[in-house]
Order: sequence, then structure tokens, then C-alpha cells
Amino acid sequence: MKKLLVVGLVGLAMVACTKKEGQEGAVIKIGAAGQLTGPEAVFGSDMLNGVKLAVEEWNAKGGVLGKKIELVPGDDQAEPRQAVAVANKFVTEGVVGVVGHFNSSCSIPASEVYHKAGIPQISQACTNPKLTDQGFDNVFRVCGLDDQQGKAAADFAVQKLKVKRVAIIHDKTTYGQGFAEEFKKNLGTGVEVVAFEGIAKGEKDYSPVVTKIKSANPDLVFFGGIFTEGGLLIRQYKAVGGTAPFIGGDGIMSEELLKIGGPATEGTYATFGPDTKEIPSAKGFNENYRKKYGEPGVYSVYAYDAANIILQSIQKAGAADGKKITPEIRAIDYNGALGHIQFDAKGDVKESPYVVWKVENNKFKQVK
Amino acid sequence: MNARNLRHDLFFYLGILLICVPFLKIHTLYVLPVFLGAWGLRRFADFAGENRLMVTLRERTVNSVLAHRRVTVGLILAVALLIPLGASDYLIEVFTSVILYAILATALNITVGLTGVLVLGFIGFYAVGAYTTGILTAKFALCGFWIALPLSGLAAMLCGILLGIPALRLRGDYLAVVTLGFGEIIRIFLTNLNGLTGGPNGILGIKRPSFGLFTLDHPRDFYWFALAVLSLVILIVARLVDSRYGRAWIAIRENEMAAGALGINVFRKHLLSFSLSAFFGGIAGSLFAVKQGFISPDSFTFYESVLILCMVVLGGIGNVAGSVTGALLLIAAPEFLREFSLYRMLVFGAVMIAFMVFRPSGLLGSRVIAQEIKDRADDGP
Amino acid sequence: MFLQHLLNGITIGGSYALIALGYTLVYGVLKLINFAHGEIYMIGAYLGFILISLLPAMPPFLQGSLPLFLLVVFGIAAMICSLYGFYLEKICYRPLRGAPKLTPLISALGASIFLQNFVMISMGAKDRIFPQTIGMRAISLGGVSFTPLQLTIIFSSIALMALLYWFINRTRLGTAIRATSTDPFMAALVGINVDTVISVTFMAGSFLAACAGVMIGLYYGSINFTLGYLGGIKAFTAAVLGGIGNVPGAMVGGFLLGIIEALGAGYFSSEYKDVYAFFILIAVLVFRPAGLLGKRSDERA
Repeated sequence: MKKLLVVGLVGLAMVACTKKEGQEGAVIKIGAAGQLTGPEAVFGSDMLNGVKLAVEEWNAKGGVLGKKIELVPGDDQAEPRQAVAVANKFVTEGVVGVVGHFNSSCSIPASEVYHKAGIPQISQACTNPKLTDQGFDNVFRVCGLDDQQGKAAADFAVQKLKVKRVAIIHDKTTYGQGFAEEFKKNLGTGVEVVAFEGIAKGEKDYSPVVTKIKSANPDLVFFGGIFTEGGLLIRQYKAVGGTAPFIGGDGIMSEELLKIGGPATEGTYATFGPDTKEIPSAKGFNENYRKKYGEPGVYSVYAYDAANIILQSIQKAGAADGKKITPEIRAIDYNGALGHIQFDAKGDVKESPYVVWKVENNKFKQVK
Repeated sequence: MNARNLRHDLFFYLGILLICVPFLKIHTLYVLPVFLGAWGLRRFADFAGENRLMVTLRERTVNSVLAHRRVTVGLILAVALLIPLGASDYLIEVFTSVILYAILATALNITVGLTGVLVLGFIGFYAVGAYTTGILTAKFALCGFWIALPLSGLAAMLCGILLGIPALRLRGDYLAVVTLGFGEIIRIFLTNLNGLTGGPNGILGIKRPSFGLFTLDHPRDFYWFALAVLSLVILIVARLVDSRYGRAWIAIRENEMAAGALGINVFRKHLLSFSLSAFFGGIAGSLFAVKQGFISPDSFTFYESVLILCMVVLGGIGNVAGSVTGALLLIAAPEFLREFSLYRMLVFGAVMIAFMVFRPSGLLGSRVIAQEIKDRADDGP
Repeated sequence: MFLQHLLNGITIGGSYALIALGYTLVYGVLKLINFAHGEIYMIGAYLGFILISLLPAMPPFLQGSLPLFLLVVFGIAAMICSLYGFYLEKICYRPLRGAPKLTPLISALGASIFLQNFVMISMGAKDRIFPQTIGMRAISLGGVSFTPLQLTIIFSSIALMALLYWFINRTRLGTAIRATSTDPFMAALVGINVDTVISVTFMAGSFLAACAGVMIGLYYGSINFTLGYLGGIKAFTAAVLGGIGNVPGAMVGGFLLGIIEALGAGYFSSEYKDVYAFFILIAVLVFRPAGLLGKRSDERA
């Protein structure tokens, strides 16, 4: 009996001790959340490295407000439940700003936690309009939106490629489907949508759907989704004798697409931000990144800029307090690796310069 | 150690080595821990099985806990009630997750533990419950949470009955696969029925429940609410185990044919346990929906089903307290070991094998199963 | 278009059939579903990837001849996978023989998760991409397009099935397997070493699954560690469809499932492609548990 009492008391004591987490003062903590493990971990590590680079650069200059910056990584495993847990962990640890969540299904539930705690969140990659539609004043993103991207892709298809028949495939994710619907909406009346198909993500065999698409005889095939499925689709489409080129979004902008799809990907289009290798402002970033972590991923530079925006705002606000930083982020007039960034009232970037890329000689090149 | 044992051991290590060989080139580093882990587990199992001290120690602990059952339960409940007072919001969220999974594990334990039916798609019921609440309170805003909560349970129960009537004619492995198919079908439908479920976007803006003007907005309040639900579920299940139904279930698990011969309507009892467990699964889903405020098909994958099953196995099949312990271990522990999250599922898989081979009755064990295993060992060569 | 769907269905159906044979064989002798079988198939695909990536390090006579090289890849991958099957049985099933039904099921599930994550950790979570060895150039014939690879896959799966058929029906070990699956107790009485037979069965099943894995890897060009989950379930469906425990049934079931899926996804909705397999599975189990070619039997436990 006595023993049990002791055990219970020890348990209580342990719980009480855990309250003293996250000491104030010594360092300023920045969170970086995304899938650091799992099938799409590559996006997570690209993001983390981008943020790391920004933090290291600031620390080399003496930190912010005279304090060192500490990067706290959070692994949401692309799972909503884990994302909320990570968000709560950040709040408890006294993180003052968060870069991240990659997936919309993680960003959205996590943003509520950040909102309650008054911590600014800048997503580097979440393109779903719903994120900023929630009306939270602390949620921002540095990437474009699906509706802007869908419009860019549709405009390119109609005006440049002058297509008449389009087939649309999406991967039934928040991102893929949203993007596909925006694309469809923006095509206008002159273009006939000959197929609108969803596919199961993670599957390998898409031969039925590509056969169907091929027999619909489109001029262009749109794909809303990630490179893993994109590469397979393109490859299998060409294997059943299809000839129309593919167009996709930021999700397929990856070297992996070229590896999976092989020669079949030649001539594939993708909408994305402008070539950071050609933006003069990103030159320094690219060089430094390569030195430390190798070739930057497509979202590394976005994460880097997001982290810089948070750090700059902390400096301007003069305090490491989320509630004071948020208005500074909203008012920021930032010139970074991506060029000029300003946020609108919802927290989206004011200008989203989507351009179209094309695979030529097994490399993505910006279409001039 | 005799010669036979030695040969067996040799085979064992050779097997592990061979399994690692093709992947050696890529990561030599991982082989050693796997090896050591396997060795350690084997040694420990041998040691724990033969060492008088450990056996008596365990027996004594179990007996003393059993003797002071009320006190133990009271103490645990008191600790659980007091946790949020001293803990940060993050810890409270973690423990709320533990409670939700404890409800799920307790519910799954009704079928897996008591009637011996393996359900692999349990997450399907959880999803049905969560989506019912989401659709009723947020998507179409038809009613409040207090009406949606029982409706969620009932909707899941209905699914359980609809699935159970044809499926429960099957046994064992087949039934397991059918339930697995059910879980997957639910998830695929959730992704595709855009009008009803929001498709891959899920349902946004599910509000926390409120008592009149008082909203359970603070994590602490919600924790207590979830704890109350868990206590209720455990109470019901614990009472059921001791009731005529519980005895009938265990009789069915032990020997279905004999149970049938004794006049137990096997099918009806199976269906009852199945739908009851679906009902509690749905209730847990409903709580999950209001806790998250946002649900999408991503939360209801096969891995979650496995996770819940693992809790039941780890805690002890058929043991109610074991399910709660399992949930605590499998949800809280990874939270504190976030750095190792990569290895989480690997360890779970190994744990499931190790427990089945070395200790089928789980950590806390089920008296009946333990007895059965012991009998088997006595019969054996 | 119909013929195209049919051809696609047959290609994928061949691999379902090969994996399904593993389920059926094991079920025959042990009356138990080997849940980890899908993972063996996935590991086969990874072994194929590792071996093909080693091409530059191979002796020159292998580098010169592609068919010979592929044969070696298939052989080695299948052999290693047989060992996996052997040890899988040894570690996860043998100690549990005679235990309550639930126990081996859970340990099999554990094995499946363990292997999946083991491969994920050691090989990375990213998709692995096969080097493009065989020409993917499409040949068009009467409105149907196919690649030489596709034909190779169809013919090798048929050849492998013929090999298994010969093994089961014409060799001593095969006869022992059949005897054990009819009545293990009697088989033991007439001097068959049941333990050996069970090990051989697991090895044979894994052998075929590994071949299917390598083929699928070559065909799709990209593999990842989750391959075994869906592949396993679908192959299991195929085995059930043909009548579990029935060797020709598994072959027919595999092809049939492949074709049904291809036609269903082609003519109805590709979004629900995976649902077809599950629906077939549930429908067959509920309405005709013996499968298409299976004999009626009361015990389905």
C-alpha cells in the first residue's frame, strides 16, 4: 500500500518537473516543421537545410537582438496528428516563429495551434488556398497558391501551346486535386477537357488510366501531383504509345521525375517560380547552400527566405515575442534570394511570379 | 545449454545475418543493433523464464495489485486527473492522444481479446465516427456535438453490423483480411466522396464541445472530458467481461465448437462484440474530430490500425488494463523519443514478433490465456 | 482500347499470380495465411534493384549479354528471397505451431511491418529507380501498344508457373508437399519430414515472389518500400478468388484479377481502382469462400 503511494507521488513529481521546459532568455528558438522521415522525407530535409543555412548565417553575424538563434526541427511525418503534436511541442518549447509544414493537411490543423499561441507560421510550400482562408493573422506563405499556379499553367496551355483538347489527371490529394480544379477552371471555353481522372497515390500501375487518356487523344495532359506518380504516369503513357506532352506544377519539379520517367519525360512542362539559378539575388544562396548541403532542392530557397523573414522581423520588433513579430512580418518589405516579397492581408505573397519550365535534354529549363 | 538449443541459436543468428547481408553495403551500421537487440531479447526471455527471482517477483507484484484493486485504480485515476494541473499544454495534448488511443485499444480488445477475432481495419470505425461528427457539426452544421457524439458511435456501430453480418461467418485469417479491406475501402471512399467528406481536403473548422456557455476550449478541460469518456468505456467493458456476455465471449474464444454445443449463439455473440467495439471506436473518432478541429483521410491509414493492434498485443490480449498501458507506452514513449521516430515502426514490428514468440500474453497478461499457454507448454515435448 | 486494357491486365496479372502462388502453397500445408509474403515480394524487387545497379561491377561476359545478366539477377534475387522465406518461417511461425490461431497471425503482421521498415531504413524512404536497361520503346500492332519488356514479363511469368507445376507434380518433394497439404498427420506417419516440407514450401513461394518483384521493378522502373502492402493484398485476393490452397486456382485468379482491375479502372473509374480488389475479396469470401476453382469445404478457419 505504502509502495503504491510512493509510486503515485513520484509520478506526480515527474509530471510537475516537466513544466519547467524552455528557459527564456538565453537563445531565440525558431521551429522548422515538415516530414523529416517517411516517403517524402526529401522535401523535409530540403526545407530543414534551407532554414539551417539562414540560421547559421545570422548566427555568424552575431545572432539576433544579441542572442544566438537555435533551430528546433519538428518531424510531422506528413501525418495530421503528428503535426498537431509538433506544433504543441513548439509552443511549449517557446519557439517564436515557425517555418513550415509542407503538406496542407498538416499545415492547416497545426496553424490553429500556432494561432492560439500567437506564433507566426510561414509555410514554404503549402499552396492550398484554404490555409490562409482561415483568417488567422499569424499565418503566411512565401510560395504561390494553387489558384495562381493553376492559372499560370492554363494560360500557358491556351496561349503558348494553343491546345484544344486537354486531359487532366490528379492524385486525389489536397494539393493535386485543388491544383487540377484551378487549372480546369482557367482553361476557358475554347478548350475541351476530354478526361478528368483521379489516381491512387502510392500505386505503381497506372496503365488503365493512361490507356484511357491515350484513347481520348488529347493535345496536352495535365497532372496535378507529386513527381513519384508523375514520372510513372509519363513513362507508362509513352509506353502505351501516347504522344501528347505533360504539364504539371511545383510538385513534379524535381530531378527525381527525370530519373523515374527516363527519356519519356522529354518535353514535359512544369509551372514553378523563376529559376533561382538565374535570379541574381539567389546567387549567394545557391553557392553557400551547395558548399554545405549539396544541390538545393526546389523548396530550399523558399524555406531559407521564410526563415530570414522571421529573423528580420524579430530584429525589427525588438523582442522575441510572436505577437510582436506578426505585425512586422505583415508589414515587411523583404528583398531576399527569391527577390521581392510582400504579404497581402491574408498572408499570401503579393506577387507570385509563376513561370513555365520544360524538360530539355534531361534537364529542367525555364521557358523563355 | 544443450546441443539442440545451440543449433537452434545458430540458425537464428545466421538467419538474421543473412537477412541483413544484401543491405549491408548501404548501411553496415544498422546490422549491429539489430543483432544485439535480437541477442538481448533472446537472453532476456530465457533469463526471465527460468530465473526464480524474476518469476516470483512478477507473481508477487501481480498478486499485490490484484489484492488492492480498488486502491490501485483509485490511485491511477487520481494521477490521471492531476496530470494536467502540473503539465504544459504540449504534455496535455500528448496525454489526450494517449486517452483517445486507450479508448480505441480497449474497444479493439473486445473483439481481439475477448472473442478472439482479429480485426485489422479497426481504424475504419474510428474514421466513420470522426467523419460523422465532422459532417454533422461542421460540414452541414446540422446539430451540436452532444447529439453528434452518440450518432457517431451509432454510425460506426451500423458499419460494424453491416460488415459483421456477412464477415463474421468467416474465421481467423479470412476475417482479418476482410476487415483490413473494410478499413481501406472506408479510406478510399473518404478520399473520393468529395461532396460529403470534402475529399482529400477533409473537413475544416470542427468546434470543441461546450456545456451551455462553457466551452471545452482549453486542452486541460478537453483532457478531463476525454478521461471521463475513457473511464466510462473501461467501466462498461470491465463490467461486461464479468457478465454472462463476457463469459460467453471468452468461451467462444477458447473453443467455439464447445461454446456452440453449450447453447451459446456464437454468431450473435460475435456480432454483439463486434458492433460494441465498433461503437466505442466511433466514439473515439468523434472525440478525435473535435480535438483536432480538422480531419482528413491522411489520419486513417492502415498503420494506425496496426498501431492500435500493437497496443492490445503489448498490453496483453484480453486485458483491459493492458490496453491502457499499451496506449500509454506506444503514444507517449515515441513522443519523448521523437529523434528516433524513424525506427518506431521497426521496433513495433519486432515487438509484435517477440511478444508472440516469447510472451504471447503481453506485458500484463491475461489470466486465461496465460493458463492456456502454460497448459500447452506442459503438454508439449 | 479493350485489347490494350486486356494486355495491361495480363502483364500485371502475371505478377499477382506469382505472388498468389506463395499464399496458396503456404496455406495448403499450414492452413495459415502468410501475411509477410507481400514483403518478400518487395524485398525481391529491392534485391533486383541492388543487383542491376551492380552491372558495371559484373564480369564482362555478363555485361555483354543482357538476357544472361537478367537471368543471373533473377536467380540471385530469388535465391536470397528463398532464404528470407526460410527464416521467416523459422523465426515467426515455427515456434508458434499449434498455438492459438491469433498468435501466428500477429507475429506475421509484425514480421511484415518489421521487414517493411527495415528496408525503408536501410534503403531510404525515397523511391528507388531502376536503371533503364531494357528498351522501353513502344511497338504498335493493330492498335495495341506494348514494349518488349512487357512480353518478356508475360512469358517469364508463364514459364515460372510451368516450372512450379512441374515441381509440385513431378518431383519427390512436390509429392511430399501435396501429401502434407492433404493431411499433415498422415504425411508424417508415412515418413515425410513435415518440417522440411513446410520450409521448402515457404522457399518456393518466396522464390516466385522474388521473381515477380524483379519483374515489377523492371516494368515500372521505380520501387519503394510500401510496394509489398498493396501487392500482397491484391495477390492474396487473387489466391482467394481462385480458391486458396489450389495451385491452378491461384494462377487463374492472378490473371483474372489483373484483367478485372485494368478493365474496371479503364471503363469505370480509376479513382476506385484499389477498391475493386477489396470488393472482390469480400464478395468471394462471403459468397463463395472456396473460390472459383476450389472445392467446397466447411472448414474455413
